[in-house]
Amino acid sequence: MYAIETEGLTKIYANKKVVNEINLKVAQGSVFGFLGKNGAGKSTFINMLAGLIQPSSGSFKILGEQTHQRQKMGVLPDYSTFYDDLTAFQHLKYFSRLLNVKLPKSEILNLLQRVELEEAAHVKAKKFSFGMKKKLGIAQALINEPDILFLDEPTSGVDANAVLTIHRLIQDISKEGTTIFLTSHNLDEVEKMCDDIAIMNQGVITAKGSMQQLRAKYQNKLIVFIKHSRLNEKQMSSLRPQLEELANKVEWNQELTTVTVDGEWLIPEINRSFLHANVDVFRIEVDEPSLEEIFIKIGENQRSA
Amino acid sequence: MLAIGLREFQNLFKSIRSIIIILFIFSVTLGIAKLINNYKEVLSEVGGLEGDIYMGGLLLLIIGAGPLFVTSLSHNAINQEVHSRTIRFLATKVSREKIVLGKFLGIAMYWMVCILVASLLILPFTKGFYFHQFMEALIFILYFVGLAIFLSTLITKPGMTMFLGSVLAILLPIIGLWSLWSENLIIDLVSYLTPYYYYSVGEHIYTYVVLIFPILFVLGSLLLIRKKDF
Ligand SMILES: Nc1ncnc2c1ncn2[C@@H]1O[C@H](COP(=O)(O)OP(=O)(O)OP(=O)(O)O)[C@@H](O)[C@H]1O
Ligand SMILES: [Mg+2]
Repeated sequence: MYAIETEGLTKIYANKKVVNEINLKVAQGSVFGFLGKNGAGKSTFINMLAGLIQPSSGSFKILGEQTHQRQKMGVLPDYSTFYDDLTAFQHLKYFSRLLNVKLPKSEILNLLQRVELEEAAHVKAKKFSFGMKKKLGIAQALINEPDILFLDEPTSGVDANAVLTIHRLIQDISKEGTTIFLTSHNLDEVEKMCDDIAIMNQGVITAKGSMQQLRAKYQNKLIVFIKHSRLNEKQMSSLRPQLEELANKVEWNQELTTVTVDGEWLIPEINRSFLHANVDVFRIEVDEPSLEEIFIKIGENQRSA
Repeated sequence: MLAIGLREFQNLFKSIRSIIIILFIFSVTLGIAKLINNYKEVLSEVGGLEGDIYMGGLLLLIIGAGPLFVTSLSHNAINQEVHSRTIRFLATKVSREKIVLGKFLGIAMYWMVCILVASLLILPFTKGFYFHQFMEALIFILYFVGLAIFLSTLITKPGMTMFLGSVLAILLPIIGLWSLWSENLIIDLVSYLTPYYYYSVGEHIYTYVVLIFPILFVLGSLLLIRKKDF
């Protein structure tokens, strides 16, 4: 049984597939990271699983069931507000009643301590800073000791110290066997915390696997920019097969060609191809993009493909 | 569900507006009772003076001003939580149906307590508890509690339900009373949808028919809230 299983899960806003037929399986007990740019569709995806928004089509299973497992689930939504009139303590008390969980005072304080809010336990939430609200948001997701935890950007907007606290907390909870599904903009965070990751772009998952697998597949690629004289038909027909043989990907332009290759050793070969086709090469520049940049790129390629 | 109801119930007692309304109901009910009491010799000569005439004051107040009280306090019971997105914490913990039912229950309890206390306050005059009149007042209020819940599920903007709730709270009594005299078919038909028609028949059993409306309103809310995105 998977912790999460989706089939063709889709959300349409204004005729646009914001989440586009996602098929995803998340193993029980794993920490799964969802990475993607602003507006990629991460929150929309999580919110469908969390029961906050209705899917337009497709289906999902959570812990093997086709219904929301509220009693076994904790959710930190991407955006929400607390009640102005309640303190941190009172919030947790109220929320625990909603879940029919009997939490003694000591356990509520304990939970607040886990997110470093013990000193603010009796302060009204309207006086909380952004980071404090985030911590309270994480605390309320843990009330029922969930089997599956959704954390939408658990560390965005909090200070460096709090990031460490939250990371440690996630690791602790994961050790207890909870499946954690988190979203992030930060590759380093995902690499540190997650067993598996998926990259989302424009509503589709463009890459998926363990960080190791993704590195092996995408890292150490070089992007070579070649500025050259304008290409004519004959030159093109000579160049095209050669470059496409050498490279992972070629983007043609009249006076600038961009080639993505596996390593340095291919650059002289590329140069020779141009000479062989009788093209004057004026300049060659090489860029070694970070994994992060590549992830953004693969999304864009798939979209234009 | 009960936790949501309890919070709604307590919150109602905390708001300034509700305290003013409670004080108003209590003092007007007491005032009318005293007034009747002062003239009881005159009244008893005209016709028989029974205890329920004191309850009549309370009932009249509830029928006249109750709709406005309820909609002004509870027009945003659901959509305020959607608007501020506090509902996201509720909806990830309990089903949407329980949110609606809990809210309805909390508001209904609040009014039951208010009407109960008001009728107990005039006990020295009535010399007894008039159950039918109490139920009539309560059922009448439940109609508007259901309406408020329905509107605040249907309409997302709290400002809009504030406006619409007030308009309906004024319009429905007018239509209801007008229909008693009017021959206009449309007015008559609409009046069957208001509690006023059933209260004008003069049979207790008819007032219990009005209970169908809050049930329909709540069922409508339950259907609507399923489709909502929070
Ligand atoms: N209620 C809505 N109505 C219309 N469009 C929406 C709505 N909610 C989200 N969108 C659109 O859906 C897309 C995906 O939004 P979503 O919030 O899921 O992205 P995200 O990956 O979580 O982004 P971020 O990193 O900024 O949190 C965006 O283009 C957004 O504009
Ligand atoms: Mg988001």
